[in-house]
Amino acid sequence: MSATETAPRTTERTEAQAKDFKDGLIREIPNLRAFAASLSGSMQLADDLVQDTLLKAWGNSDKFEPGTSLRAWLFTILRNTYYSLYRKRGREVQDSEGTYAERMATHGNQESHLDLADFRKALAKLPEEQREVLIMVGATGLSYEEAAEICGVAIGTIKSRVNRARTKLAELLSIGGVDDLGPDRTSAAAMQRVGSEIIGS
Amino acid sequence: MNRVDAAMPETGEGDNDDFDMVLDPKVQESIGRSLKAHYDDIVNAPVPDKFLVLLAQLEATEQRAAGASTDERN
Repeated sequence: MSATETAPRTTERTEAQAKDFKDGLIREIPNLRAFAASLSGSMQLADDLVQDTLLKAWGNSDKFEPGTSLRAWLFTILRNTYYSLYRKRGREVQDSEGTYAERMATHGNQESHLDLADFRKALAKLPEEQREVLIMVGATGLSYEEAAEICGVAIGTIKSRVNRARTKLAELLSIGGVDDLGPDRTSAAAMQRVGSEIIGS
Repeated sequence: MNRVDAAMPETGEGDNDDFDMVLDPKVQESIGRSLKAHYDDIVNAPVPDKFLVLLAQLEATEQRAAGASTDERN
């Protein structure tokens, strides 16, 4: 009755299964690049990291359970690879070349370009444990539960890290200058007060 | 819609609890938009060909291996 007693899986995947898996990998490449860049702060490192992730995923495809989130599974591989192999290199690359925030061409419109560059610089200053969860739950579409599983921590810890990350970003970006958020001065002023408390702590 | 759960103060990571404060929803919204802009900018960038080449090679290798296991080894 248990999952282990269902029909034995052949060790050789069929060509159709291999193709499905490969198509899934191809679909996830853009997300893997964006997550890897967010982690490592470098587009060049990100692409090395994605390549390693694809190789590991291919070699371990029998461990992926169909029906579960391929994205979450791939992010777990990518994240483990980053922390075991790339973290130190990332710092070195950033030291010598600056972060992608300073170098990367953006594909958005010109008007948002400056804002995006500023935001990326601030994002790069977050502790990585906060940055990774903020990206996961704030941009990738992963749930808090999936983020908790990927990071191997409790959901409460994820929520706490997300909260801290947002607060820190608001501080780094000085959101709370009276005009930063447009006409709503009440909330801006409230944030300014919060911001000064953070800086003062 | 309701992001209250995400903004709830947590004491799970005991140190530095003064960071566990509730941000103004407008600030949260602004950060959320920037996060998506950052991420989607990379997601929408062209994917380097090398990844597709790599996967095609892996697939070809596997198909050759599968063929070799049924055919006579050469």
